[in-house]
Amino acid sequence: MTHLTMETLLSLREAGLEPGDASAREHLDACPICRTELERLHQRVARLRALPALRPSRDRWPHVAARVRIEHRARRQRMAGLIGLAAAASIAVAALVRPGSGTVAAGEREIQAAMARSQALESALSQYHAEERMLDGRTAGIAQELEDRIAQVDRELEVADLLEQQSRDNQVLKLWRERVGLLDALVDVHVTRASNVGL
Amino acid sequence: MESYLLANAESVVARARAGDEGALEELYRAFEAPVYNLARRICRTTEDAEDVLQETFFEVCRSIGRYREEGSLWGWIRTIAASKALMRLRRNKYRDTDQLQEDVVGHRREDTALRMDLEAALERLSETSRAVVWLHDVEGYTHEEIAGMMGRTPSFSKSQLARAHQRLRRWLGEEVEV
Repeated sequence: MTHLTMETLLSLREAGLEPGDASAREHLDACPICRTELERLHQRVARLRALPALRPSRDRWPHVAARVRIEHRARRQRMAGLIGLAAAASIAVAALVRPGSGTVAAGEREIQAAMARSQALESALSQYHAEERMLDGRTAGIAQELEDRIAQVDRELEVADLLEQQSRDNQVLKLWRERVGLLDALVDVHVTRASNVGL
Repeated sequence: MESYLLANAESVVARARAGDEGALEELYRAFEAPVYNLARRICRTTEDAEDVLQETFFEVCRSIGRYREEGSLWGWIRTIAASKALMRLRRNKYRDTDQLQEDVVGHRREDTALRMDLEAALERLSETSRAVVWLHDVEGYTHEEIAGMMGRTPSFSKSQLARAHQRLRRWLGEEVEV
């Protein structure tokens, strides 16, 4: 008589039926050796579960807490950096506008408008103190994703600054508009949600 | 494993999300022991297990805002711990010691029931086999979930478990006499 393999015995312990389980059960009914094997398997698993819990010899919380504090500080600095970048870029664009020309090129005006809008949104977020407020998991995930994308746009803005005048203006305008869109979404996530739930 | 419950979990999680360090420490104190136990059962050394404990709670503190409260808090933390422990195994790439035993000693010793105790037998399994045994038989993960965490197939998880039980049975002197 061919006895059941360990893999088959294990599959008999699973909730769902696997192909061949029915014939394996028939064999089990007729074979005391396989029944003993299955019983020993049950007992072995029960003993595994009953092994004593192992405990750490050292308290690792101080290390975790220190890393968390560093991470929070870095995050706050990143947020402050975003606001600073917008202000600096605003000054840079103002300097691009030729003095005495009386009129500002249409592209530059659009860039300035996008930057002003971006600053206003950042200012709103800053006054709102989003970092100190509680978000549910899904909302926090969305906010984190938006912040990451804004950081990516900022990096692209730095690169765009190195381009030739004409292509730089086009690229900068595109990026500032994207930035405004992302900030709009971030404000929606924080402020609209808060007003909905009365925070 | 629902015995690892935090009495006032909802309020602790809410305060932890708001960045309250006291609440984060409460989470640590509540789940430190089960996380360490899981890590130690999977990792080879106490140092690795303590590192996994630290990495797990750093991740918990960073990601508590993303915890969706769909499953139990312990279930969420346990999955982070299991992933960190498996990552540690991949990084260390220990030699599978039970395989080494097979290579060197061959089947001669199989005739002799070694009669180890369960702790020693578990320790003697390869890293991968031990991880599968612990995650499946003790923590209750399915083969599909284990395969997902290990980046392998469910069949791999099943065959690892079967091989591990064959070895445990032999080492514990539990083979049924025909």
